[in-house]
Amino acid sequence: MKEVKINFKLNDRDYKLTVPTNTTLLQIIRDQLGLTGTKEGCGKGECGACTVLFNSVIVTSCLVLAPQVDGAEVLTIEGIGTLQNPHPIQKAFVEEGAVQCGFCTPGFVVSAYSLLSKNSHPTEEEIREGLSGNLCRCTGYIKIIKAVKKASKEMQ
Amino acid sequence: MNNMKYVGKETPRIDALPKATGTIKYMSDLVFPEMLYARILRSKYPHAKILKIDSSKAKALPGVVAVVTHEDVPGVNGFGIVVPDMPVLCKDKVRYIGDTVAAVAAESEEIAERALSLIDVEYEPLPLVEDPEKALLENSPKVHENGNIHLHTEIKRGDPSEALKKADLLVEHTFYTGRQEHAFLETEGGVAFIGADGNLNVYAGSQYPQRDQLQLARCLSINPRKIRVVSYPVGGAFGGKDELTIQPIIGLLALKTKRPVKITLSREESIISYWKRHPYILKYKVGFKKDGTLVVVDATLIEDKGAYSSLGGPVLNLAVEHACGPYRVDNVHIDGYAVFTNNGVAGACRGFGAPQTSFAIETIFDIAAEKLGIDPIALRKKNALRNGDLTPIGNKLTTSIGTIKVLESIEKSALWKNRNKLKLADPKKQWLKRGVGIALTYQGTGLGVGLPDYGGAILSMDEDGGFTVGVGTVDYGQGIGTSYAQFVAETMHCPIEKIKVILGDSLLSADSGPTSASRGVYTGGKASVIAASKMKEELLSKASRVMSLPCESLEFGNECLLEKNKPNHYISFKSLADKFIEEENKLPMTEGYFLVPTAEIKIEKAEGLPHHIFAFSAHLAYVEVNTLTGEVRVIEGAEAVDGGVVVNRQGYEAQVEGGFVMGMGYGLMEDLIIKNGIVKNPNFSTYIIPSIKDAPYNIETIPVVNPEDTGPFCAKGIAETVMVATAPAITNAIHDAVGVRLFKIPATPEAVYMAMKRKAID
Repeated sequence: MKEVKINFKLNDRDYKLTVPTNTTLLQIIRDQLGLTGTKEGCGKGECGACTVLFNSVIVTSCLVLAPQVDGAEVLTIEGIGTLQNPHPIQKAFVEEGAVQCGFCTPGFVVSAYSLLSKNSHPTEEEIREGLSGNLCRCTGYIKIIKAVKKASKEMQ
Repeated sequence: MNNMKYVGKETPRIDALPKATGTIKYMSDLVFPEMLYARILRSKYPHAKILKIDSSKAKALPGVVAVVTHEDVPGVNGFGIVVPDMPVLCKDKVRYIGDTVAAVAAESEEIAERALSLIDVEYEPLPLVEDPEKALLENSPKVHENGNIHLHTEIKRGDPSEALKKADLLVEHTFYTGRQEHAFLETEGGVAFIGADGNLNVYAGSQYPQRDQLQLARCLSINPRKIRVVSYPVGGAFGGKDELTIQPIIGLLALKTKRPVKITLSREESIISYWKRHPYILKYKVGFKKDGTLVVVDATLIEDKGAYSSLGGPVLNLAVEHACGPYRVDNVHIDGYAVFTNNGVAGACRGFGAPQTSFAIETIFDIAAEKLGIDPIALRKKNALRNGDLTPIGNKLTTSIGTIKVLESIEKSALWKNRNKLKLADPKKQWLKRGVGIALTYQGTGLGVGLPDYGGAILSMDEDGGFTVGVGTVDYGQGIGTSYAQFVAETMHCPIEKIKVILGDSLLSADSGPTSASRGVYTGGKASVIAASKMKEELLSKASRVMSLPCESLEFGNECLLEKNKPNHYISFKSLADKFIEEENKLPMTEGYFLVPTAEIKIEKAEGLPHHIFAFSAHLAYVEVNTLTGEVRVIEGAEAVDGGVVVNRQGYEAQVEGGFVMGMGYGLMEDLIIKNGIVKNPNFSTYIIPSIKDAPYNIETIPVVNPEDTGPFCAKGIAETVMVATAPAITNAIHDAVGVRLFKIPATPEAVYMAMKRKAID
């Protein structure tokens, strides 16, 4: 496989990598950088578990190929908040009970982060639209919507 | 429960923040040095003889470290919770399209994938067994040598044929239910490796590490004590990880290569290869008296078992037990068949046979209410099982029975009280019609009679004066770990922040049985409480010696033991921990075991029946039907649920909301289509589960307190009942809206549209 040299910024750090051209951004994040907060649920852009912010736009990182990553700025769940210093969205997910098995949660948090950074007071319909690329099987989504509403208030 | 500090209080999940920050490691996140990647070669045909397997070319590929076939399985080449009939690696026959023929461990996933294409397998296709009804015929091709009937369970009480003749109202219909995929977000996967002690470690998503340990020991021919299974956290399971999946393959490859071996199934492979909810054909004849009394249920249940047994037998038996719903009826004939086919494999799935029968019986109750002119709740109340009644299969109910309470609670809900007003849709949009539907159900907590059913917990004191509880059940989203922490914190008078929980580890947590059958909180919780009570005795006797006071003069305070009426004279748990280390060089450890009480009788030839403890729920759905397209939107839902008590309001609601929406998927959209043995919709763009846009605007949780004395702090389990009756509540609501009955789920837009069209023609 042909290789490609890429320079990119991820969670405010600069990276230089040489990877096969068919490597996905998801593989770069999980396998090359060892950041496992971004999950693979389908590998086909259908479930949203691998959602990251890519040049300020949410993408399913399983559908982004290495050459596209060159020069890009990426934000993953690890760049949003930490155990010691969680983001208000993460706190709201915890407090509202929007986390169950948790496998979809990082993707939802990233989508909510993107939504709230563009629209600080989303309506319920806008929340549903903004998170519609993420699937969850445990929660029934109700508490996720509540968490995003709560985060939107907290972030004022 | 008002004087409690933790139990009954809204408690955020103890593992929520590590999950929300992406810092917790799932089994599929683990990476080890020198790790190899596994891929599995699966059958090309749904039913065929294997004539030859040649893996020499694959073995020669650079980067391939091992290729295994049936010849490499050192022990029993079969697994299965009840009957070990599913080969680890197929020898002379394949029975479904996901059957495992060979597996490769290589330096990279790409090499492993390429190696699969170099394995030559010669097949001779065999005639397919597709239709479970035809599979029952004597001249049908056979999936297994012993024939296609895996299990036949028949229960007869009273005189059903006479009662059918005498009934004032006879409702007779055949129902069909879909093949539901669990759709957990984390596919089957994990890592197996040989530890420094020479033991085999299998870190893979599962629902019962100790049983995996035994099944793996059999297949791999090693002492179970030399196998450690770890399975927490898990990205969803819903019954789909109760049976083994990839564990024997990675275990075998790790033994063969002496290196860590990892596998993560692709979504397609996951959907094609492993367990689903069994599709059912349900033929019902149900008789009522004019006054609404249920007099007879005669039902034939045909379960499409798929290719291997797994839990298909127990699923059938639970379906038989729950076939009449939670109602009193003296004339009963339930004839159930679990039938092998080449339609994939099916096994445990949330509800375990109850969602199928609930759809049938709750539709029938709705029809009867309409025909008899009786309010649907009144009809259900009239026939509802109460304490002291005999169940349809003939066991006496002596535990907490919540049918009437959940019906009374749902009757008072805003959704039910305002249903006539809610039916009025937007007058400008005449093509949209609205309706409200109800369904009642119940679900056994625990495994039933004749099966080992127990809880186990190990509790140890920590150096900081806190405690660690180890329970073998797995938290794959339900929140049981948080419940255990609440139980221990409450019993030990210790802040919940100082309670650690170890789940799903065959080495560090006690065998507490499978995480299934809505039994996690009940069994593991009760065992945790017992272990904590024993711990209190240890602490009490130590404190008595240290403080030179008799035990009777001491009592527990917050994180301490104190002299009664002298609150300033105390010893903290931390100081006690120091004393234990100083005097005994170890911290105290206790164990709690709890045998689940069972019914007094056993139903002959029906393993596991009857159940003894039940959770109850009444479900409401408020829907809008688009009469131009057949699309159904669930606007709101409500559930009144009797789970004994509420341990954690947040977790309780989470189960209800998640269960309702999973039930909504089952009722409206989900069916894994298998034609000619081939799965037609093996991904999330063709197998559609509810998204956030489909979710109702509100799902009201109405907890019904109905303490079950045998449970931990009087709790039962609600994980399954909350999804069971959602589908019939929705189809009954569709009828309320547009006047058509659905006898097949999922009620897709096409099906609803066609039903409306047929009605218009009639």
